[in-house]
Amino acid sequence: MSFPDPIAVFRTEAAELLEQIEAGLLDLNVNLGDKDQVDAVFRGLHTLKGSGAMFGFEALAAFTHHCETAFDRVRKGEVPATHALVTAVLEAKDHMRALVETPAGDHEAVSEVLLANLRHAVDGSGDQAASSVSAAPAKTLFKIRFSLPQNAMANGTNPLPLLDELRDLGTCRIVADRSGIPALDELVPTDLHVSWDVELLTDQPRSAIDDVFIFVMDDMELAVEEIAVAAQMPTVAAPAPVATAASVAAEPVASATSTAAAAPAAPAPGDAKAAKANENVRVPAEKLDELMDRVGELVIAQSRLSQLAGGSGDLTLRAVSEDVERLSGELRDTMMVLRMVPVTHLFSRFRRLVHDLANETGKRIELVTEGETTEVDKSVIERLADPLVHLVRNSCDHGLETPEDRLAAGKTEAGHIHLSARQQAGEVIITIKDDGRGINKERVRAKAESSGLIAANASLTDQELYQLIFQPGFSTASQVTNLSGRGVGMDVVKRTIDALRGTINVVSRPGEGSEISLAIPLTLAIIDGLLVRVGNGRYVIPLSAVEECLELSIEEDMRSRGRSFISLRDSLVPFLRLRDLFRTNTTPDPFQKVVVISTGSERVGLVVDQIIGDHQTVIKGMSKLHHDVATFSGATILGDGDVALILDVGHLVAEGQQQEAHLRAAG
Amino acid sequence: MDIASQNEACLRLPENLTVRAIVPMREDILKFIDAHEAAKIELSDEVQVDISFIQMVEAARVYAGTAGKVITLAQPASGALLETLRRSGFLEGMSDDDAKFWLHQGKIQ
Repeated sequence: MSFPDPIAVFRTEAAELLEQIEAGLLDLNVNLGDKDQVDAVFRGLHTLKGSGAMFGFEALAAFTHHCETAFDRVRKGEVPATHALVTAVLEAKDHMRALVETPAGDHEAVSEVLLANLRHAVDGSGDQAASSVSAAPAKTLFKIRFSLPQNAMANGTNPLPLLDELRDLGTCRIVADRSGIPALDELVPTDLHVSWDVELLTDQPRSAIDDVFIFVMDDMELAVEEIAVAAQMPTVAAPAPVATAASVAAEPVASATSTAAAAPAAPAPGDAKAAKANENVRVPAEKLDELMDRVGELVIAQSRLSQLAGGSGDLTLRAVSEDVERLSGELRDTMMVLRMVPVTHLFSRFRRLVHDLANETGKRIELVTEGETTEVDKSVIERLADPLVHLVRNSCDHGLETPEDRLAAGKTEAGHIHLSARQQAGEVIITIKDDGRGINKERVRAKAESSGLIAANASLTDQELYQLIFQPGFSTASQVTNLSGRGVGMDVVKRTIDALRGTINVVSRPGEGSEISLAIPLTLAIIDGLLVRVGNGRYVIPLSAVEECLELSIEEDMRSRGRSFISLRDSLVPFLRLRDLFRTNTTPDPFQKVVVISTGSERVGLVVDQIIGDHQTVIKGMSKLHHDVATFSGATILGDGDVALILDVGHLVAEGQQQEAHLRAAG
Repeated sequence: MDIASQNEACLRLPENLTVRAIVPMREDILKFIDAHEAAKIELSDEVQVDISFIQMVEAARVYAGTAGKVITLAQPASGALLETLRRSGFLEGMSDDDAKFWLHQGKIQ
């Protein structure tokens, strides 16, 4: 059994803390008076500092300490929260990430610059701060008893920094309780058997004590008793420690108290979240991938078993095969759910991006997100990040106008970016919409003509024209900025979405804005497929794209020669003869079938020789040699060991629609 | 680790006595106590300690007491060890026996 590396665990948790800090800062930036957010950011910084010190990330702890102090001052009302402070701490947060990732790097110069910015941001509000300083708060005596989890030290938690933090809160007397330490022959050296009794006289609230333990709160025992509220520092005798240790003992605290009511441990603000997190188990992503591979192999083996059982007259074997099929299907479904993560993790990073872009461009930009709970396969999420960054950058830089231009156009001063996600028929649709100036079709056409992408006066639909912006090196921006305009980026979007077997749809209205929709399969691992035969080959059509199956009689087939349309409930649907497309050179079956597939509102029929049935399809990537073959999105291994190619629905629908357009144009 | 002669019965421990290196110490100290009526533990001037070591020494005291043996520190706690005792709250409320063991009659050197 292997234990996770504590440093790796810390890095993971630090990354989450940094995300929380960033989210808190961005929320605070919207409402600078939000005390909850001030507290949340402070807690995040405090925890990061404390845990960083525990795990030996001294530079991180030292640097974070300054930010924590700044927010502590805000928390205490000594300085106000300002946009400048939020920006300074956001920049500092990025540096903290670097200190987590490369603690041994040379970060000193950057640290100094960022801390100078932070000081400036804090000191710049000094005058206001002076007036907002309230009277010194009354002091409270807390009696604290705590024990850390027995495996705390083994997991990398050093109790000493926690005790130091308690001392930092005020006048403190800490006594170790060694009564739990067993005899040496029974001792597990890495287990912790010491507990502590603490008397703390402080002007800090109870929550400050919880903050000290926030990183280990879930598993520890903590009892806090609020003994007295003293207006002044009490003067009482020390409880007779070893005389010469007085130099290290804290200032003595009151033993006589007026109200000894034990206050129930108030839940720390993060408790609900912590409790929720406690219900989850953190699993490394690669373990999930390994498990997914095993499930994939199981599905293939099950498929083989089904085939053998189907050809056998053994009823017992068939029954077992059906059970295995059901169980492997359920296992697959469970596995797929495990791999699904909500897009909120993806969307949250764009708040910071938009904040920074607004600062860089001088525009006022509001980001609205919708459908954050939509779940997508984790590998899809990971690969969507870069394309979305390009699209959001493009919308901010090219799409949205300056505040002056917007006001002149009768719009609100602030531009809006709307980022949304939703599921639709086995796909996730992610839309980036802005209310800017829209795509200038004339400029796109002129640029495409001048760069030879299209012939002069070529007849193109709006969609075809808009798709040109995803060509490598294509940019209509007259100025290259730090953000965009070099024509690098949108082609990355196209390449990535293609690789994900997705499609891009662009809608734009002059003066009203643009909307780019990315349709991506929910998963890249296993799909439900419809297994069909064309000639002697077998192919898989993703079942989520299949609308219906029809029979194509010989008469209808003859009738449609040259036209390739079928009439489907009063509408003409183009179809592709896969036998022709794949050049099978075989005689067609007398009763061919048409499988009608769709992507959104567009439909096309695929003529096949035989529909074999549904098939759980473990998707395998095509080799590099077949990378450019657009008709297929992958391959799968069938139960008998044969390989079946998986049809690329988006490509076939586009081809069918193109064929329809040509036929219509030809009259 | 340097085990001195039987007469001196002094166990010299390595410099790293933190949780990362503490596990083998248990066996060494246990064997040493079993082998001698009076065991003395000697620490390096450059010793690195954390609570795991203090806890182990306390466990060794319990074990030695039960076995009718005597265990002592070669020198009173000073430097890093004294600082760790202070930070971990072991100095506060020390009994006379504890002060005698750790500080040699309560005199911090």
